[in-house]
Amino acid sequence: MTRTRKPGISRRSTLALMGAGAVTFAAPWVARAQAKTIKIGMPTILSGRVAQLGTSSRNAVMLEVEKVNAAGGLAGRQIEMVIRDSKGQPQEAARIARELVNTDGCEMLLDGEASSGSFAVHEVARDLGVLCIHTCSEASSLTADPKQHIPNAFRCVRQGIHDSIVGAGYAAGIAKAKGLKKWATCSPDYAYGRDTTGEFVLYLKKFAPDVEIISESWPKLFQPDYTEVVTKILQAKPQALYSCLWGGDLTSYIDQANIYAMFTQMEVFAVNMADYTALTVVKNLPKGIHSGDRYIKTFPPTPENAAWGDAYKAKYNEYPTNWSWQNATAVMFLNEAVKKANSTDGKKVAEALTGLTIKCPFGADGTVTMRADDHTLVGYAIGWGTTIPQEPYVPDVKAGDWKTIFELEAEWKKSKGYT
Amino acid sequence: MTELQAGQGAQPLEVPRIDARPQRYRDLLIALAAFVLLALLPMMFGSKQLLDFVIRCAAYGLFATSLNLLVGYTGLISFGHGMFFGLGAYGFGLMMQKTGVPIPVAFVATLAMTFVMAVVIGAICVRLKEIYFAFVTLAFQMLIHSTILSWQSLTGGDQGLRGGIPRPPFLGIDLSNHLHLYITSCALLVIGLLLMRQIAQSPFGYTLRMIRDNATRASFIGIDVWRAKLVIFVLAALFAATGGIIMALFVSGAYPEFAYWTISGEGIFINMLGGVTTFLGPMVGTVLLLILNDTVTRLTEYHGIVLGIVILFFAIGLRKGLMDFVVEWFAQHRGEGRG
Repeated sequence: MTRTRKPGISRRSTLALMGAGAVTFAAPWVARAQAKTIKIGMPTILSGRVAQLGTSSRNAVMLEVEKVNAAGGLAGRQIEMVIRDSKGQPQEAARIARELVNTDGCEMLLDGEASSGSFAVHEVARDLGVLCIHTCSEASSLTADPKQHIPNAFRCVRQGIHDSIVGAGYAAGIAKAKGLKKWATCSPDYAYGRDTTGEFVLYLKKFAPDVEIISESWPKLFQPDYTEVVTKILQAKPQALYSCLWGGDLTSYIDQANIYAMFTQMEVFAVNMADYTALTVVKNLPKGIHSGDRYIKTFPPTPENAAWGDAYKAKYNEYPTNWSWQNATAVMFLNEAVKKANSTDGKKVAEALTGLTIKCPFGADGTVTMRADDHTLVGYAIGWGTTIPQEPYVPDVKAGDWKTIFELEAEWKKSKGYT
Repeated sequence: MTELQAGQGAQPLEVPRIDARPQRYRDLLIALAAFVLLALLPMMFGSKQLLDFVIRCAAYGLFATSLNLLVGYTGLISFGHGMFFGLGAYGFGLMMQKTGVPIPVAFVATLAMTFVMAVVIGAICVRLKEIYFAFVTLAFQMLIHSTILSWQSLTGGDQGLRGGIPRPPFLGIDLSNHLHLYITSCALLVIGLLLMRQIAQSPFGYTLRMIRDNATRASFIGIDVWRAKLVIFVLAALFAATGGIIMALFVSGAYPEFAYWTISGEGIFINMLGGVTTFLGPMVGTVLLLILNDTVTRLTEYHGIVLGIVILFFAIGLRKGLMDFVVEWFAQHRGEGRG
């Protein structure tokens, strides 16, 4: 080929274009430090199968941020939320978290990621030293494992281990009263499903030693057809079934199991049933499914909680989710911690957050605490009850006992080598 | 296939041998210049986002270019190339977390492990043609992804490798320092691209093009088609694993999503965007996709629609990647000029 130059895009214009591109990229959009507003970054999942939960997290955060801003902001600085979609990919969550801090000038992070994404954001917090509150990841190891511990990260989320202890205590009571000895389990085949089921069974046998597991099913996450699982359980003829399926998986499972009249043949314990996203989607919600509370505006049965649920419904025309109350609580914690520290400096706020107890509509006794030794949320309302097919869906929730939770959690941590 | 590509494919085999040496020096010079330019970027712009962007470009660029060695040069449409990206990330992360060996040792050991896996998987896959090859590679990818999810005691299951990847300094390089990580990623990218360029321009590279265009003819003139395909499958896997290692260093962890089919899908998407008939097409595609992704996710949460429209534009509108289009446009332009 010859190398004769012909008119086209000139070298000069090419260079100009490249220069313009580079400048756009590197432009320091944000004057940081003592800006009047304080930016808080939030990577969360706004697309894909879990989008509804991510959106409900954003809604709850905005609801609370508006209140804080109306009351004068954080130490006099108005909050500006910068919320971006990570698509549920950990590498995107890490990138966005870094971008929010490094480029957008966010001084704090609310991490609205689940599972692997939360661990990716945790590493960013470790790397950049930015104050970070995890608001959606229930994986116990995120805060229980001392390897994960960093002074600037907190978790404002319920935990699998707490749910298992309370659920097993509740289930053991019913097992003893009704003589339920033969149990089956059916949970999603990944870390959350296996861990939570394992812990539930461990404590169930501790509280009711007669219990025997006669069938285990591990459907894949997001499996569309549960026929073989349902028939396997029916053939085993258990007296009770435990499941930690959640979201769309749980509702599909119930719809399909209804065809086989499964719920008339055994007692069913589904920890994730009592969340409006599941309760309102199931076509024929069977009466008498036992479930842990996720978010329900009638538990804790206080006017504050009911008012919060109604305010959310009035603003967004749908009920809050489990992720909603957790995110709202995180903003409440930030607000109180900044007041206590009288500063928005990340380090000072982190110090103030450690061991902080605040008033909260979602507390078992009207308060929740950010436990000092592992930076995790305790004292939140946790309980189990049975479903009815219409509102209030779970009319009578039996509250768990935090004293028992603390004792057994300490034993569990020791058995895992965490303490 | 474009006319240009057909023209290249039909060239006699002696041509590259005559051109090889000067071109090699030219490639080396371009690589050096590119590295110097990249190394100077942090001095010109203080933006950490720009450095993050280039590090991610290095990871995805190596992955996508290695995929093009299979797709564009050999005609092997692999839907499972992402498994090597994941293997690289997990191999390196686990090695650093469990054994505490120096980083270069973990790097080489990860490549050695990928080599073994790629030989085994490749030996089974490259016997198959077209859609069968695509599906069996996809099946292997899902097998590896499922193994990562299930082998919780080793991999942490769906939560990934937790607790960060330790990065002890070696030879004065501290990869926990952002700038050092950036320079190392750039070096790996440039060296990786240079090596892949050498493979593509070598007689072996032209053998691959011949296999792509007419495997039967290649076989008849005495080329061991199966062996050539296996060699390039394994080489491409090594470069993809290097991309995975860079990504593991960037996020300080490894997650099952790295070995999921969507990563392979992104690789194919990048190749479609940038074009498969030029060596740098996938690199251009990587930069385009990452810029698109980063800006679109900033502006709207309906990024899926925007990216979908872009891919439709390239697939139905241009009917080729951006670099294919540019090269063709230049060739036509010159043709007209001469005419």
